[in-house]
Amino acid sequence: MVVIGTVAGIATGGIAYFIPWLPDQASREASKIDGVYWFVTIVCALIFALVAGVSLYAGWKFRAPPDDMDDGSPIHGHTGLEITWTAIPAALVIAMSVFSGVVLAQVEDIPDDHRVVRVTGQQFAWKFTYPDLDRTTGELVLEVNRPVRLVLTAEDVIHSFWVPEFRMKQDAVPGVETRTVVTPTKTGTYPVVCTELCGLGHATMRSWARVLSAEDYERWAAEAAEQAGGQTQTGETETGETTTGEEGGGG
Amino acid sequence: MATAAHAHEHPPPANASSRVDARLLGIYIFIASEVMLFGSFFTAYFFARVVVQNETWPPEGFELPVYLALVNTIILVTSSFTMHWALQSIKRNYRAGLVAGLTLTFLLGLTFLLIQIREYTRIGFAPNDLAFGSTFYGLTGLHGAHVFVGLNLLAYALIRAVRGHYGPKEHEHLGVEIPGIYWHFVDVMWIVVYVTVYVV
Amino acid sequence: MAVVHEEVGHVEHAPPPAPRTGWRRWTAGGWLRTAWLVPLAFILTPVLVLAARHGLGYPSSPFSVLNPLDDSGLNEDFWQFAQPDLQPLITVWTVLVPVAFLVGIGGFDYWSYWISGRPTRPEDHSGHGARRWQDYFRVNTDHKVIGIQYLVTTIFFFIAGGLMAMFMRAELAQPGMQYVDPQGFNGLFSVHASLMIFLFIIPAFAGIGNYVIPLMIGAPDMAFPRLNALSFWLLPIAGLMMMSSYLVGPFAAGWTNYVPLAVQQPEGNLMFQMGVQWAGASSIMTALNFLVTIITMRAPGMSFWRLPLLVWANFATSTLVVIATPFIAGSQFFILFDRVLHTNFFDFAEGGYAIGYQHIFWFYSHPAVYIMMLPGFGIASEVISVFARKPIFGYRLMALSLMAILILGFSVWAHHMFVSGMASWLRVPMMVTTMIIAVPTGIKVFSWLATLWEGRIHFKTPMLFGLGFVSMFVIGGLSGIYLGSVPIDIHASDTYFVVAHIHYVLFGGSLFTIFAGLYYWFPKMTGRMYNETLGKVHFWMTFIGFNVTFFPMHWIGSQGMPRRVADYDPMFANWNLAISIASFFLGASTLVFLYNLIVSWRRGEPAPSNPWRALTLEWQVSSPPPIFNFDAIPQVVGSPYEYGVRGARHAVMNGKPVEEGRKPAPMEETVP
Ligand code: HEA
Ligand code: HEA
Ligand code: CUA
Ligand SMILES: [Cu+2]
Repeated sequence: MVVIGTVAGIATGGIAYFIPWLPDQASREASKIDGVYWFVTIVCALIFALVAGVSLYAGWKFRAPPDDMDDGSPIHGHTGLEITWTAIPAALVIAMSVFSGVVLAQVEDIPDDHRVVRVTGQQFAWKFTYPDLDRTTGELVLEVNRPVRLVLTAEDVIHSFWVPEFRMKQDAVPGVETRTVVTPTKTGTYPVVCTELCGLGHATMRSWARVLSAEDYERWAAEAAEQAGGQTQTGETETGETTTGEEGGGG
Repeated sequence: MATAAHAHEHPPPANASSRVDARLLGIYIFIASEVMLFGSFFTAYFFARVVVQNETWPPEGFELPVYLALVNTIILVTSSFTMHWALQSIKRNYRAGLVAGLTLTFLLGLTFLLIQIREYTRIGFAPNDLAFGSTFYGLTGLHGAHVFVGLNLLAYALIRAVRGHYGPKEHEHLGVEIPGIYWHFVDVMWIVVYVTVYVV
Repeated sequence: MAVVHEEVGHVEHAPPPAPRTGWRRWTAGGWLRTAWLVPLAFILTPVLVLAARHGLGYPSSPFSVLNPLDDSGLNEDFWQFAQPDLQPLITVWTVLVPVAFLVGIGGFDYWSYWISGRPTRPEDHSGHGARRWQDYFRVNTDHKVIGIQYLVTTIFFFIAGGLMAMFMRAELAQPGMQYVDPQGFNGLFSVHASLMIFLFIIPAFAGIGNYVIPLMIGAPDMAFPRLNALSFWLLPIAGLMMMSSYLVGPFAAGWTNYVPLAVQQPEGNLMFQMGVQWAGASSIMTALNFLVTIITMRAPGMSFWRLPLLVWANFATSTLVVIATPFIAGSQFFILFDRVLHTNFFDFAEGGYAIGYQHIFWFYSHPAVYIMMLPGFGIASEVISVFARKPIFGYRLMALSLMAILILGFSVWAHHMFVSGMASWLRVPMMVTTMIIAVPTGIKVFSWLATLWEGRIHFKTPMLFGLGFVSMFVIGGLSGIYLGSVPIDIHASDTYFVVAHIHYVLFGGSLFTIFAGLYYWFPKMTGRMYNETLGKVHFWMTFIGFNVTFFPMHWIGSQGMPRRVADYDPMFANWNLAISIASFFLGASTLVFLYNLIVSWRRGEPAPSNPWRALTLEWQVSSPPPIFNFDAIPQVVGSPYEYGVRGARHAVMNGKPVEEGRKPAPMEETVP
């Protein structure tokens, strides 16, 4: 019967694999996170198949005729079984936790060749400041294969920065500096979505993340440099003021 | 709606499956819940004081009347003893002691409350002065509200005592014992609040 | 609190007072008194507020409070009311009017007599039981009446919340804005969730518990009948308060009501905060009542290891309620103060900490999700064991796993905050504890399955919902495991994946068990059988509609559709249209349920005392049970689940042993 479960499980898992569950992977983190995602999916598919299989089988096999007056066989328990289904799930969850923990550490370690971009959420728009270029834009511009550290904060209420293709999400909290890191691996333009309810405009608080090839990025940075004069102050003041809180640490 | 027909209908007496009296158990559970309510306020205090790094606590420009509060603490602690005395008296069926004890407890509690209000109006900062002010008024105010409730319970017990209710037998003085338990809780809670907010 | 004034068996009763006549009827506890007290409180409030402001030297012409142009600004005094808006008024209204209502209907009469030392009304139990339908519309101390009052009220709020969901789905059927404005949409899902959680799932379980627990443990009533009545009457208050927030602009910060957004919101937000306080008070008092009843009023021989699992489940749940609920009370108080008194609990500019709110909120609201599930586990255990005609598998482990969940439940709250920017070291420990909860839950799931094994399964409607619950809840639980894994949650948090999780656990979990319980105890509560065919129709419509509605949400969520949005990327248009259509089908299924309920209640055929041949005590008395449940307290002699065990007994009722498989009426006779 466990066999039934396993077979059905692999089947479901297989099918699940061909449905486009996740957006395409555009960052180093994405592939790692998807790894966990699929691992968990397989475990869960197996478990569900087992549960569904057993209950369907039991429902079909032990169905009683309507006028049936008898009782089932008085089984009160079975220590062996109970130990098994305590131990196996325990093992599985530990496995999943360890895997997740490791991946978490990987996606969050910051290579030292990283750039820094300050991200500021406000009702209802994103602002991206590039300290090294001292420039502020409304769209996030990144260089492909170059890790970038995002330092987020918000001016009014909590927002949340998310690029589905990057798989990375981080709340931007007023008075707090939160951090995340991404390494885009695919050039292209991806949506930046606000995922924390922030009022009227929450649904429409969107922007774009443009991942440029190295040379395109250089070109962009260059023109950034010459336009810098005009562009600076906005970003400067904003981030200057809004990062007065303490670091995200604490209870 | 009291129709004579059901005038003398009574349920079968429930089986007592525990040695603890239902009403005592009730108040203990209720107090557990109350402790958690204070817990949430202490959590807020913790965030404002510890998680948000402050260079000094209280922030400069703020100071707390530690000694006045100490006096207040002593008053409240005393009231716990008078409460205990009241209960012991009725257990020995010494009614005068009961009434006197309750009256004293009530008056001490009232003094505490008045002193605290005085403190509020003189303390020189408001709940909307920094998270410090908010959490200070939050904790002390929550406790003040509990003192107020406690005073009500004492008043009820007192009224009944004066009108000659209660007696020495176990179930006869629950009406004194239970407000008493609550009062002791309010008292202990104040010591915790005092130590966290004023002393530490 | 007033519970402490209970003095049962206190001999100082006056003869029953003569029913009041003439104008004095207006001062007797009841709707007449309410009819003038409530408006009075409503009018008095502004007077009081203005008087207070005047006395304290704030601009106190009505305009200064009502007119938004007033700019007397903040001054530093701590009596300062929020300026310039209705908030002081609304705050006082939401306190005084409910109190007036409770006093009006007579919720405090007995206690007021007691505390003033006057002789209390005789315990003639005239306030007890229901002899006419009117008895359901007054303060009634009979746990059976209260149970039904609970269930009817909560189903009303379920319909209200559900209709809001229908509006949401209509809006979401296509991208762009069609029917409501964004704020209106935010209001819809906020009120939807709040009603469903605080006024449907939680109190519905309390209602079933209220009706069944005293019967199951062989007690004549709850430990504190008057407190019980009072806890019920707080519910309509809370619910109407939340719904009436529409009068001043609904609260629209989500049911989680995160700061700082909550502080920015229009006045309606106060209605949520106060509504939560009233609902919370109600569930704390009920939980206290359950705990005391279960501990002190079990029938002789009903040891803890002989308690039906429903009672165990409610024992665990009540403990959770008593310990956790004060935290949401606290969290909402803080927002109230921040709004009305301009305190700075969460305002970073003034040294507050916004994320602190989330910790306090989730420290309640994660345990709350088990508050919303454990009673369901109890119901499932009863139903599955009875309809599989088998002892519940691994009884003790079933009880212990409840306790394990209870304890673990307090150690996982931050899994709602993995991306919130809280202390990052907290995430991995919380992930581990979160995942570990799968183990005790798994024990329960597998034990239910094992209970089916070699049983003789009767697929009555309750059983269908019971089994439907097992599979659907497992899906919800597993999606919970996804979210529990930090890396996945970083991607999936605050997307429709979470919405799918929510509904698989709350609808597929909690609501399915509530349906199972309602059908299962319907004969006992109403004395009539429900219509089995309609019941089955309801199940299949719900089961299909539910899955088609909520399963695709996993996909659109993973692919990048955030939650709480009124408008979305056109790439999700097709899925959302499908979901919306399915959701209307799902809504329609509820019509079948309501129809079945109402019609069967009025002219269903009379139910025998024990249509399911169950062993637990509530089935050993007539349907509906006599006003005092038992003529004599039964003597419990064995486990409640001994199906198929020859000669096993659960209890002895008035000398007659309750035998295994006792058959007062064969199944087919009882089922139309
Ligand atoms: C009835 C209510 C209920 C229940 C029971 C649960 C149960 C669980 N929930 Fe859920 N949850 C909610 C209601 C509930 N939840 C709600 C309402 C929200 C959204 C709040 C909001 O609005 O933001 C939420 C959100 C939520 C989040 C936050 C998502 C986010 O916002 O980012 C997380 C993250 O960890 C989570 C996890 C879990 C887990 C691990 C369980 C576990 O208890 C599940 C355990 C059960 C199983 C795992 C299945 C059975 C087990 C087996 C068959 C054994 C074998 C299994 C394995 C080995 C894995 N839930
Ligand atoms: C027990 C809890 C519960 C229940 C039962 C439901 C039931 C339903 N929920 Fe709800 N839901 C939540 C708890 C619940 N929900 C929570 C906690 C959230 C999170 C809110 C937040 O983000 O803050 C949420 C959010 C939520 C969203 C996401 C909103 C967003 O994030 O943008 C959606 C969207 O589809 C939704 C839909 C539904 C639907 C279609 C039903 C249906 O099952 C409803 C079916 C019932 C009825 C329809 C009423 C009775 C029927 C009739 C009277 C018949 C007549 C009507 C018709 C035929 C149309 N819910
Ligand atoms: Cu910004 Cu949602
Ligand atoms: Cu949770």
